[in-house]
Amino acid sequence: MVEELRVKARELLKNKQVELVIGYQRASDGVSATPCFIENEKDTDLLIWDAYCVYNLSSYLKDHPGRKIGIVAKDCDLRSVVVLLQENQLKRENLFILEMECQGVIDERRLQFSDKQNQEISFAQKCKSCQSSKLSISDYVIKDRGEKRKTPDDYDEYGPIRKMEVKATSERLKFWQEEFFRCIRCYACRQICPMCYCPKCVAEQAQPFWFSKAINLEGNFSWNVTRAMHLAGRCIDCGECERACPVGIPLRDINKKIEKDVKELFSYEAGSSTEAKSLFACFNKNDPEGFIK
Amino acid sequence: MIEEKDWEPKIVAFLCNWCSYAGADLAGTSRMEYPPNVRIIRVPCSGRMNPLFVIKCLMKGVDGVLISGCHINDCHYSEGNFYARRRFAVFKKLLEYMGIDPRRFQMSWVSASEGDKWAKVVGELVDEMKSAGPNRFADRLENHGLPSDRQTHSDEVEVT
Repeated sequence: MVEELRVKARELLKNKQVELVIGYQRASDGVSATPCFIENEKDTDLLIWDAYCVYNLSSYLKDHPGRKIGIVAKDCDLRSVVVLLQENQLKRENLFILEMECQGVIDERRLQFSDKQNQEISFAQKCKSCQSSKLSISDYVIKDRGEKRKTPDDYDEYGPIRKMEVKATSERLKFWQEEFFRCIRCYACRQICPMCYCPKCVAEQAQPFWFSKAINLEGNFSWNVTRAMHLAGRCIDCGECERACPVGIPLRDINKKIEKDVKELFSYEAGSSTEAKSLFACFNKNDPEGFIK
Repeated sequence: MIEEKDWEPKIVAFLCNWCSYAGADLAGTSRMEYPPNVRIIRVPCSGRMNPLFVIKCLMKGVDGVLISGCHINDCHYSEGNFYARRRFAVFKKLLEYMGIDPRRFQMSWVSASEGDKWAKVVGELVDEMKSAGPNRFADRLENHGLPSDRQTHSDEVEVT
């Protein structure tokens, strides 16, 4: 796979089909992967591909307006590219999508719990419910010829959400208060998110002043609820916010909750089609309104 | 902290200029009686409503927030309330999930001729707020956010 990727990247740069290839390279620790930006065909040998390639590289696309970019993308990254195209943040003709057939990526925090018998544990949670390659927007697909990793059939991706939903309201509040109590407002969740591209974030706005910038419950609660709401119908569950969070707030549980509701209420799935309008940019005359008096 | 017995719920209502605001006005000019607990803020359309308005109200200690607009198909701007309906269907569920009493955030459609419905909506809302009790969120903030019986998570890890 890696060889095919390198050859293709070299060819793209040589033929001037793209000016820049965004992919993964080995980090200085010799184990993990780190994003790399290749402009010269001689450097394409830096490119790697393995289960450590966790980052969603589509967050970098918006930093290079007007340039022709080749991007190495997993299935979840493809969905975020779709949303960015839907929202007119990218031009399709400026993109060359190199899709990697993905078998799942490693979650470093889970690694220590896996052993020879049960390596499944070390894969990121998001990979358990991933239904690979439903999209066909890539320009070039690099197939994985290895044995396919099996995901458990009975895996309920909304299991933790359902568990939470049946709890009492006060218990839920207590849970989230404790989680948000740790939030240091570093905004890593926002910075890493491919969908958070507002030039001026509401969290930094002073006029009007929406919520406290101080690290207190008011600010932390408002920020986390607002962040989640701004991603409603847009979050494609790449799980990067949760991975980037330095204090381990289960942000995916909030994103998944909205994803579940949106699926149930409007049969809408983020990042499933470039033609469809964004969730909140359209409506249906028969949208549910049982909650309105 | 206000004594429970003197407490009266504070409700902020965001009314659309074209229907609900006129409906509330009609209730007033027809001299209908309804509880005085509601503070009205006029917005151009229910579609103008941003979830941040609601979050800010709740964080600052408002007991209940109501958004009211034109009935579906009657929007002055044709489709503003359709967008609002979608947005707040998701938002209401999110708030509930985050542990905020679902009674504290409500929506209604009140037309310019429904002064009686307005009075009824407010009456019901105030009753519900009275049963829900004061919004303690703002009090908790002053105590640095944590209830006194805070328990730390156990060390057991369940890996699936």
